[in-house]
Amino acid sequence: MLNKYSLQRFYKGWQIFIENPLGKTGVIILVVFMFMAIASFFVPLIGPMYDPMTGIDPDIRVSTGPSLTHWLGTDNVGRDLFAQLLEGAKVAFIVGLSAAFISIVIGTLVGMVAGYTGGLLDAFLMRTADIIMVLPSLVILLILASLFGQFNIWIIVFIIAIMRWPAVSRVIRSQTLSLKHRPFIEASRVAGASHLRIIFRHIMPNVLPLAFLYMTFRVTAAILVEAALSFLGFGDPSQVSWGMMLQWVWKSGHMFQAPYWLIPPGMCISLLTLAFYLLGRAMDEVLDPRLRKEGQA
Amino acid sequence: MTLLSVKNLSIGYKTKKGLLKAVDNISFDLEKGLPLGFVGESGCGKTTIGMALMGLLPENAVILEGSIQFQGEDLVRLTEKQWRKVRGAKIAMIFQAAMNALNPVHRVDEQIKEAIITHQPDMSDADLSDRLNALFDLVDIPVARMKDYPHEYSGGMKQRVIIAMALACDPDLIIADEPTTALDVIVQDQILKEIRKVQQKIRTGLIFISHDIAVVASVCDRICVMYAGQIVETGTKKEVFTSPRHPYTLSLLGSYLSLDNLDDIVIPDMQEPPDLLSDIGSCRFADNCRVCSETCKKEEPGWVQISATHKAFCCEPQIIRGSHGKN
Amino acid sequence: MAKTDPKKNFLVEIKGVTKTYFPRKQFFARHQNKVLALNGIDLCIETGEIFGLVGQSGSGKTTTGRLLVRLEHPTAGHILFNKVPISGLKGPELKKFRSRAQMIFQDPYQSLNPHLSIAETVMEPLVVQKIGTPETRSEKVIHTLETVGLSPGKAFYNRYPHQLSGGQRQRVAIARAVVVEPEFIVADEPTSMLDATIAIQLFKLLREIKETFGMTFLFITHNLAAARYLCDRIAVIHEGHIVEINTAEKIIRNPEHPYTKKLIKVQPGFKYGR
Repeated sequence: MLNKYSLQRFYKGWQIFIENPLGKTGVIILVVFMFMAIASFFVPLIGPMYDPMTGIDPDIRVSTGPSLTHWLGTDNVGRDLFAQLLEGAKVAFIVGLSAAFISIVIGTLVGMVAGYTGGLLDAFLMRTADIIMVLPSLVILLILASLFGQFNIWIIVFIIAIMRWPAVSRVIRSQTLSLKHRPFIEASRVAGASHLRIIFRHIMPNVLPLAFLYMTFRVTAAILVEAALSFLGFGDPSQVSWGMMLQWVWKSGHMFQAPYWLIPPGMCISLLTLAFYLLGRAMDEVLDPRLRKEGQA
Repeated sequence: MTLLSVKNLSIGYKTKKGLLKAVDNISFDLEKGLPLGFVGESGCGKTTIGMALMGLLPENAVILEGSIQFQGEDLVRLTEKQWRKVRGAKIAMIFQAAMNALNPVHRVDEQIKEAIITHQPDMSDADLSDRLNALFDLVDIPVARMKDYPHEYSGGMKQRVIIAMALACDPDLIIADEPTTALDVIVQDQILKEIRKVQQKIRTGLIFISHDIAVVASVCDRICVMYAGQIVETGTKKEVFTSPRHPYTLSLLGSYLSLDNLDDIVIPDMQEPPDLLSDIGSCRFADNCRVCSETCKKEEPGWVQISATHKAFCCEPQIIRGSHGKN
Repeated sequence: MAKTDPKKNFLVEIKGVTKTYFPRKQFFARHQNKVLALNGIDLCIETGEIFGLVGQSGSGKTTTGRLLVRLEHPTAGHILFNKVPISGLKGPELKKFRSRAQMIFQDPYQSLNPHLSIAETVMEPLVVQKIGTPETRSEKVIHTLETVGLSPGKAFYNRYPHQLSGGQRQRVAIARAVVVEPEFIVADEPTSMLDATIAIQLFKLLREIKETFGMTFLFITHNLAAARYLCDRIAVIHEGHIVEINTAEKIIRNPEHPYTKKLIKVQPGFKYGR
């Protein structure tokens, strides 16, 4: 799958991508957040006081503003906000990327199978996709959470993924439909190749770039859903996240008293989703030659 | 009288890998009211010439040098605003993808009317309808079908409408780039006859571009054979077909299958033309030439005059002059 | 017209084949309009010949080719391959048939998967047919590439389609078709997208392949001159009907059907003062 041609294409695509101002901005923001996420692994090593969940500054009883020991200040029980913000970056990446990944895997498989086989199976899969697509994912999650109590973060990831594959599968299906009657697929059929072989060897490499494009938009959606869920108090209580931080500001009544606590997680959510969105837009330009100034050689 | 005079025209395309010289130092003249054919295979630059003559070169194309003299104006220097007055009025084009050149939501006569009004806004309604009738008559479409929509026409009729549209403003020069390529042979035959008839009737200049040497021959009396961005041989139809001189023309004629030349087929041992990104500095056909000498690989070829109208672009004048015939 | 002659050895027999397409029904249309691509055609292809099927676009010539390699099924009628009806083939029998009948497609820019190397493309039929071991397969691929004029085969082995010219791509497509040494190849306008100087070289190659492997070809084309140059016998197809079948020379010299006569009359040429 990742052969020389794909790598060359990837390299070419990357060059166009990185020349694109949208792509460049997206990558820069993303790199900053990546460093934050990596840093979150090292912060607790400084001392137990800096653990985002359990580290409590013994000298502090109320929420305080930025200081030398706590760069962004602390929350109302004395936990370091900067450590929490870094931890939030890590969680955002995990939630966003894994939910997006699962949804594109499901979406791509369903899309390829539906498009390639056609007929009843296609109709069944696409109607299922339609039904899921019109369900409001946040509301469903809220209902589930209020029925079953607060979820573990991985269950949240999985539910987001399940709610978000239909759009991917629609796009992959239409791409597969246009590929299905291309002569190279028919040549493979004439050679006696099985359906599985045709799907995975001939169709998949040709739809994967599109799947990756959709993955970036899924990441944005997943991060926002998780943040909203956590802010409303249905997140994983054992896990710090930006949405959870906002929920704590709200719950402890510091909404209008502690801007140093409220603003950073809000900014981070906006910026990270913006970064992935810009990435997707730039990728769109790489994949759509019509948007390019020059045709591919 | 000379209608169009192209001198030392070079056109390049800016690409990621560098400048691609699609047309290299081309010169030719077109007499008023005569057809001139360009024949060559993919990538030889024939379409680029057509687009340059219409001022429709793509954004990444640059005219590197040369001039295109047309009715006392150098077309190379025209601005887009000035082009709009020339294009359609004095120089018109018969498009390659004729099927898509008509707007499906407008009636056929409306579309031709619009083409006329664009350049002659003060024409009276009576004159306009006279002109329309004359045009439909010229391309043999029954007047009764003027008010049809394009989808009600057959492929051949659509192509006739395209021809009528090109003629709408009575242009002095028509560029026809592969006008019959997408058509069946039977329709192609009709359209070629139509073009020939119309050209002779209204005496307009015609640049006819095709990859098919027999198609060009059926319309044009003078022919330019192109290879890798250069004209390699030019002459009258008779000269080029009965005594071709350039080795490429020989290959092209030798590999053309028609019903009457089975015994003359010579299968060439040809690869694709050279990469036009680099400066070649020697004969471009050298690698594919069967009479290539050492000189050909080192020097730029020059024009070898065979008759007043017939010349070939080659390094070896004695080979060109000597009648080396078909073998 | 195409009566089965027991003395002759027919590899492919088409008997009364009709193919109808039903385009999607228009919402407001009162009738389902159907397109009759083939209307009860009979055709027999002898073992070892190059059979030309000549027709204009929409005549049903490509549909005929696709039916013969079972990319599509006839609406009515039978197709026999080596006296066996191909419509009933299933599973291993179908796979066996796939190794015996191959196809070369029109557009060399569409018929190769851009993500697969030349070696992977040409090797695919061997892999899916489980012929040979990995080592013998790659030897076979190199040998086949050289047979189709891509020498040295090793130089093309690891390249990708976008690095090749149109003519070279079509040679790769031919290599993919002949690598399993099929008995029958359908060549659907294999040169219509290529320049004349390249096309004629491919015709030469197809002839050489026919002589080396003794294959039977169905050559589908819109160009009567090309069919006459390459084929032993020619059938002219028009609007889903075979209007005339004869040897290539006879079709050109003594056409009987008015449509054939018309086709011959409009063929472009330049020799005799046209």
